[in-house]
Amino acid sequence: MALLTFLGLEPGLQEATFIIRLFLVFYGVYQDRTMIVKYTDIDYLVFTDAARFITEGKSPYQRATYRYTPLLGWILTPNIYLTDLFGKLLFIAGDIIAAYLMYQILLLRQLDSNKACWYCAFWLLNPLPMTVSSRGNAESLVAVLVLATLYYMEKRNLVKAAVLYGLAVHMKIYPVTYALPIALHLQSDKCCEKGTMDTRHLKRSKFGFVLFFWKLFLRLLNYDVLLFGAVAGFTFASLSLVFYYHYGWEFLEHTYLYHLTRRDIRHNFSPYFYMLYLTAESDWSFALGLAAFLPQLLLLLVVSLAYYRDLAFCCFLHTAIFVSFNKVCTSQYFLWYLCLLPLVMPLLRMSWQRGILLLLLWFVGQALWLTPAYFLEFKGQNTFLLIWLAGLLFLFINCFILVQIISHCQKGEQMARKIKQQ
Amino acid sequence: MVAIKQYLPKGLYIDPYELTSLQQHNLTEIIVTSENTQYIDVEAPEYLATEIDLFIYMKSDSQCAHCFRAMLPVHCRYHRPAENDGKTSGVLKSPEILIHCQKRGCWKQSEIEAPCSQRNGHTCRWNNVKYKFVNEKVIVHIPVGLKEHSSLVCVMTLLATALCSSLVLAAVCKHGHFSLAQCS
Repeated sequence: MALLTFLGLEPGLQEATFIIRLFLVFYGVYQDRTMIVKYTDIDYLVFTDAARFITEGKSPYQRATYRYTPLLGWILTPNIYLTDLFGKLLFIAGDIIAAYLMYQILLLRQLDSNKACWYCAFWLLNPLPMTVSSRGNAESLVAVLVLATLYYMEKRNLVKAAVLYGLAVHMKIYPVTYALPIALHLQSDKCCEKGTMDTRHLKRSKFGFVLFFWKLFLRLLNYDVLLFGAVAGFTFASLSLVFYYHYGWEFLEHTYLYHLTRRDIRHNFSPYFYMLYLTAESDWSFALGLAAFLPQLLLLLVVSLAYYRDLAFCCFLHTAIFVSFNKVCTSQYFLWYLCLLPLVMPLLRMSWQRGILLLLLWFVGQALWLTPAYFLEFKGQNTFLLIWLAGLLFLFINCFILVQIISHCQKGEQMARKIKQQ
Repeated sequence: MVAIKQYLPKGLYIDPYELTSLQQHNLTEIIVTSENTQYIDVEAPEYLATEIDLFIYMKSDSQCAHCFRAMLPVHCRYHRPAENDGKTSGVLKSPEILIHCQKRGCWKQSEIEAPCSQRNGHTCRWNNVKYKFVNEKVIVHIPVGLKEHSSLVCVMTLLATALCSSLVLAAVCKHGHFSLAQCS
């Protein structure tokens, strides 16, 4: 507990939430031993089995469905040597560290200590990350790495930020989408030319568009961006080379390629699920997959260009869009943007009633999907059309919430100016 | 001792990790005897999967004098979408029943050699027994997608995602700030 008060947050809050998480871990042990339906997530058993293979000197990929970096298996080897609860304890500690990083980032953005604490409480007291980490999912580790990257970017410590970013991309591919906003953010502090080139100018000349991107490209070739790119690239490449040397092609296939080419025809939250299931073996399959990729790509590009000044907000929008429009979406993915929401909340000019309503709407959307999914999975009824419609509705709800967040956000410039005044 | 040899078609499978967990709770004793025992792909659809052979040890039923029971947790795989019927069937054919006689010399010929129990590795000799079925086969109805929905689903999904992305795009263009930063 002394460690927690040292972290600087409200003493009562983080102790209480740590104890709740500990309780959930031990309750999980009880449920696993006594009931047939396990509390522990299947992924945790996969990690533990892979760690066991590593302790026997073998490849972790001998464990079926282990599709993560070997680093995770190595980190969890104390599961075999000490106690099989080590991993879960590590993940709930990751939750607390993530909250600490959120708090520090909010302090750096000139928020006062009490308010910052309340925004962190949204993460600490939220049942979703609590259950995900106590069930043994490793999402909190990636959340810590992403938040630490943002923290060091705020402090302009580029080398540390780049190392952590390289590590984050190695552990989970999705942070690679942050590369463009980070590059744009780093060039925005450099003074290359007087005045601005804004969109009104573009409308006048048809070459203005090309000129805009050409000037942008030139400004991206500055020292900060190149340093960040080199360090992050070096971190990522060295980790990949070390593990490729040890585990060969299997490592590349399971850690990266599987996630890039993943097409899960089984039911999931994605709006594309039924379309991909019905066309899995048809000639249109590749074209449809590509068509599904275009909205994601376009939106990510436009959001990067519009909001790169406020990196946390931009990354939040990036991940929320990426997850909502992805071809596969499971509930673990929600944590990827949930961990950035406390950083975005202070920017929102929204009444708390509207915020609560949007949150409820989000949960209702999930419940409407989970109901027909339950009847399909456990009762064997043909509810595919209902699941598909619920998936489309969930997409609408997510986009509605995103539009509300975008339209109620303080202008990015004001935030950037505030940071410059530090 | 009584055991059965059960064959699972491609459309059905058992989860080896669930099996290990049930075995730890003494709820079932099953050995996977198919050729590629190493790996049952729990995620594969039916057309990419393999058949599974199982050896299931039966326990005496406490409620019925001459009855034997066992639990087999079976899962259904995703099948190809059907033309016009929303369900396809997985068929569980009747198993072979094997009996191991524990007294010495009670059967002259015991043809089949198999482990005595799932836990230890000792082999016993089992005899295949003819019997009368109650049900010749068990049919499992598995829901599948309908091909006739394909065009509707594709068009509606792409329209919906285009609409949603346009909404978000419009909001970003309206509220976002597109310019190269000015000098400080």
